[in-house]
Amino acid sequence: MEPIKNDILDYLKDNSFMDTNIGLEDNDSLTQNGIMDSIGLLELMDYICEKYAIEVPEDMLTPENFDSLQGITNLIVKLVK
Amino acid sequence: MQVMDIQLNNIQIMDKLNGDIENLAMKLRGFIKDQVVGFKKKGVVIGVSGGVDSAVALTLCVQELGKEKVYGLLLPEIESAPSSKTLGAEICKSLGVAYEEVTISPILESLDIYEKKDRIIKRTCPEYDPGIHKTSLILPDFLNQGLLNVPYIQLIKDGESVGKYRLKASDYLELIGLQNVKQRSRMIVQYMYAEKMNYVVCGTTNKTEMVLGQFVKYGDGGVDIEPLADCYKTQVYALAKYLNVNEEIIRRPPSADTWSHYTSDEDFYWRMPIHVMDQLLYGQEHQMPVEVIEKNTGLSGETILKAQRHISRIKDTTEYVRATAPIYSLDL
Repeated sequence: MEPIKNDILDYLKDNSFMDTNIGLEDNDSLTQNGIMDSIGLLELMDYICEKYAIEVPEDMLTPENFDSLQGITNLIVKLVK
Repeated sequence: MQVMDIQLNNIQIMDKLNGDIENLAMKLRGFIKDQVVGFKKKGVVIGVSGGVDSAVALTLCVQELGKEKVYGLLLPEIESAPSSKTLGAEICKSLGVAYEEVTISPILESLDIYEKKDRIIKRTCPEYDPGIHKTSLILPDFLNQGLLNVPYIQLIKDGESVGKYRLKASDYLELIGLQNVKQRSRMIVQYMYAEKMNYVVCGTTNKTEMVLGQFVKYGDGGVDIEPLADCYKTQVYALAKYLNVNEEIIRRPPSADTWSHYTSDEDFYWRMPIHVMDQLLYGQEHQMPVEVIEKNTGLSGETILKAQRHISRIKDTTEYVRATAPIYSLDL
């Protein structure tokens, strides 16, 4: 799980509005903290689908699955299995 | 204070939005007159889409300025629903307004808009055949399932959905840019006429669209006056009834009408019935307690909170659509 989390964190550092001087906790909201907007979310979705060769089913497109580092990591772990 | 609390708890949002329409119409007419005079212009050019917003704006302009000072433009393109043109022409005729049809398809063709759009749809939906499929852009259900704003292309054959495919971010962005050329082309044509006639361009954006950023910057948002921009869509419907707008226009599902398959705003933008969206927006605007919104909408407190977060996300994303270009101020 940790490598996936670190990978997503690296992605967010390079591709989001995340302030790299401030740490990101696992359950911090990406939208409420201004790290990710709806376009950023679509880009992240493309990234994880390609990187982990997965497709996210429509019923899993919930804010809970995409709004935090932990939520995204859990989703990937679930779909990779 | 207690009296105010009781009033707030018993407020009926729909009654509030549907109330005092005669007075609202009078104020809007006054606004139109003041703005036209203020800009020292002689009349109003208005794009007539066959929808309820332009029908209401057109009627108010005619009532206030007289039919001789209002010019209607029907601005269809290849993918427009035929009813947009017929209903638009009908309302102009019924009000006695001079109007003209200017098709914007040649502008779009000169920029390869249709070909580029087809290429995106083809690579997103491998089975897409422009000869047999109509297309629309849709978002998953929000109110019942709470799903995110992830856009899909839907293929329609003989009126039935035969498949839907998630759009990649880069394709979505390109597609929006292509689609928005439609509204921006209409803006160019409207100004071509307005400047020739020394008229203002009258916008038709309502408050629901304004708050949600549901218009195209420098497209349908590129106008001189916006009489309806502080009226929720619910109020526009109430105005339409009060002004005796053609029932067919009132009953027509609202749509930007930019896809070959007629896609209603309820399916794409709002993702919930308009009366629910307007009550949620009104509740947020007036910082009403969740329990009061529950009473009004019949939704659970949990769904309301989710919907409010969803609306806040839309507002954040569309902030730049509403913004005018910031100016760097010199401290001289």
